[in-house]
Amino acid sequence: MTLSTEKFVEYANRVETEVGRVIVGQGEVVRHVLVSILAGGHVLLEGVPGLGKTMLIRTLGQALDLKFSRIQFTPDLMPADIVGTEILSDEDGKREFRFRHGPLFANLVLADEINRATPKTQSALLEAMQEASVTVAQQTYQLEQPFFVMATQNPLEMEGTYPLPEAQLDRFFFKINVNLPDVGEMVEILDRTTGKETPAANKAVTGADIVEMRALARTVPIASHVKEYIAKLMLATHPEDPNASPLVKKYVRYGVSPRGGQALVLGAKVTALMAGRYNVAFEDVHAVAKAALRHRLLLNFDGLAEGVKADEVIEELVRARMNDEG
Amino acid sequence: MRLQRAFTWYLRGLAAALGLSLLAGGIGLVQAKLLKQEFLTLMLFCVLALPPLFAFAAYVWRISPLRAARYFDRAFHLNERVSTALELQNENHAVEIIQKQLDDALSASRQIRPRRDLPLRFPKLDLALALFFTLLLGALWFRGETLFKAASQQRAVEEAIAAEQTQIEEIIKELNENQSLTDEQKEALAKPLEDALKELEDNPTMEGAVSTLVSTSEELKALGSQQALQTQQALTQTGSSLASQEGSPLEGVGKDLAKGNFAGAASELANMDLRQMTPEQLQKLAEQLEAMASSLAATNPQLAQQLMDAAQAIRNGDMAAAQQAMSSAASQMVQAGQQITAVQMANQAAGQLQQGAGQILAAGGGQTPSQGGAMAQGNQSGGQSNGGSGSGSGTGSASQSNQAGDEASTSPIPQNNGAGDGGESAYQQIYAPSLLGGAGGDTLGVPTSGEDGEVIGTSPTTAEDGQSLVPYTEVYSQYNQFNRQALENGEVPVQFMDVVRNYFGSLQP
Repeated sequence: MTLSTEKFVEYANRVETEVGRVIVGQGEVVRHVLVSILAGGHVLLEGVPGLGKTMLIRTLGQALDLKFSRIQFTPDLMPADIVGTEILSDEDGKREFRFRHGPLFANLVLADEINRATPKTQSALLEAMQEASVTVAQQTYQLEQPFFVMATQNPLEMEGTYPLPEAQLDRFFFKINVNLPDVGEMVEILDRTTGKETPAANKAVTGADIVEMRALARTVPIASHVKEYIAKLMLATHPEDPNASPLVKKYVRYGVSPRGGQALVLGAKVTALMAGRYNVAFEDVHAVAKAALRHRLLLNFDGLAEGVKADEVIEELVRARMNDEG
Repeated sequence: MRLQRAFTWYLRGLAAALGLSLLAGGIGLVQAKLLKQEFLTLMLFCVLALPPLFAFAAYVWRISPLRAARYFDRAFHLNERVSTALELQNENHAVEIIQKQLDDALSASRQIRPRRDLPLRFPKLDLALALFFTLLLGALWFRGETLFKAASQQRAVEEAIAAEQTQIEEIIKELNENQSLTDEQKEALAKPLEDALKELEDNPTMEGAVSTLVSTSEELKALGSQQALQTQQALTQTGSSLASQEGSPLEGVGKDLAKGNFAGAASELANMDLRQMTPEQLQKLAEQLEAMASSLAATNPQLAQQLMDAAQAIRNGDMAAAQQAMSSAASQMVQAGQQITAVQMANQAAGQLQQGAGQILAAGGGQTPSQGGAMAQGNQSGGQSNGGSGSGSGTGSASQSNQAGDEASTSPIPQNNGAGDGGESAYQQIYAPSLLGGAGGDTLGVPTSGEDGEVIGTSPTTAEDGQSLVPYTEVYSQYNQFNRQALENGEVPVQFMDVVRNYFGSLQP
């Protein structure tokens, strides 16, 4: 490994800067998406149409010099439409089946409105996310690294959709909520997108750099009491845990799995490095807690009926655990 | 960090000390066992001893380096640099990121200014708790006079009871050492006192102690024999008469009798050698013996008979029989003397117990000895109220000046028991139809408990058949017995106990 920590910070800042030339605001969203890429995870973006989700991933593809593909999920989309299929080819008089790669064979894949596809098609994508490979006709094809999926969901128009099951949601590293821009950002968006020139991002890092950055992020040390804090935080999301907060006990059906803990640790490590630090701190954990946990917390009927947000539960938990640490 | 801990634990120790003082003091005061001075001492001791002890312990208590590192990370906002570096110090420093982390931690630590970045923090909760306890203690100190007074009274009562126990033990010792009494008499006198001692041990409350002492006093008085006191009076009078007859054979005996030395008189009588006397002396002796016999006939017929026999024998010239009769008379006189001594001691002890009861009552904030005519006898000499003429009874007058609100303080019954008076004979027989006895009437008792009008017990009466008059003292003692039972059994409301006690005290003959 040759990448230095200074280089890491420099590359990360460069990427953010390049993305920032195209995407207005959404600083936290960009940061979390970048953290997820550098931690080796996939992201689920939830936001109303028109907030720049597709543009974000496309711009990231430009900044990271990675192959980009977009899949628009529809109810009639078949698994073969995304992973690829075997077609009969006739070359040099020889007829044979040849595997034609689907749009999944890219570095950055945008799976737009993933909840509109059937569970069968969803599972084909999710298998690729988990295994970084695709199996077609008993042949396994490895996906090129880095492989990163950004799936989107529209919180409106949920009729006729196929919500991702909890087990599948758990495979996403982060779930990021994309919110409406404020007035200033809106003005800037209008300026940039309705003017003569449309800005574009320049290449900031290569795929190989991303791989090295990922490896370096994993080496960031984490103190034992911080690890213990993360473990306790995770366990406290389960209503039967003695340290569970009142909100958890009242509104949570099932808490976070160990994947959530992994996401917290890796996300915190990347965040620490991006802050120019060489160890994980509590504030790094707090910075990624909501993104890492909100989609892994299953609310019960009471919580859903009363409109309780997973973020509220996570905030209360983080506060309670920090008080205990203090 | 040690200073901060010491300071924090000093405040905690202060809160603990104040809390402990409040708890211990509160319990002690509620149980009326802690005086104001003792409460202050306890408070000062806790406040001066505990906080420095806590602070010292906190200062010297071992702190693990990792714990200190975590504390400093939090206090100086080092983002877990130092604690991570501490855990990594044994790792392979060749790994670049580890070395960088260590350097980063060192660099960040060097920029810390402890005095600027870690000012002494006041633990608000402990401070608030200490202030709260201080306020409560202050309230208790300035508003708890009632409790302090009750404790003071309780202490005084306990001391008075202890003093009374000592006095009873001394009375018992005196009884046992008294050569004039027979073993049976000693035992009869000592038993109520020993029972009283045990009751005082078992029930060391004011009410219990007063009740025990008063009932024991009554018991001792009941041991007193009317007849013995009358005999004493008669013997003393006779003695005085004989002593005035100078040169007479019984002059010496008379002097002893007048002084109350019955054993000496008996000895002199028994040792009188009739063969050495002249006929005139014998004649005089016979006359004196007859005079003695006639004055003692009503009170001690046996002694009177012996004396008469001796006089007769002398007149008949039978010196041996006379000598024999005089010896018998002397023995009889010794017995009478013992009985008289026993009665004197019983009355003396009864008086002391009454006085003790009064002192305990006074210590407990009840009637004082000077106010309680019934309680404070003060008369140690024998032959008190029940004797005939006698030494001043020392019984206070029936009209008493008691505390406000004590309605029973004025005597409802004129008792005619001024100084020099007293005794049963001064009281009129009273009409008590409820105590009719003998044929023709049912004997009823005074209801003690139970439903209204229900008769629980019966009491004997010495009234003659068909008569409705009985001695006042007999009526009083029965009613007083019921009164004592009611007080002991808690049948009288607490706020009326003094009133009831004073009332019956004013009725006492």
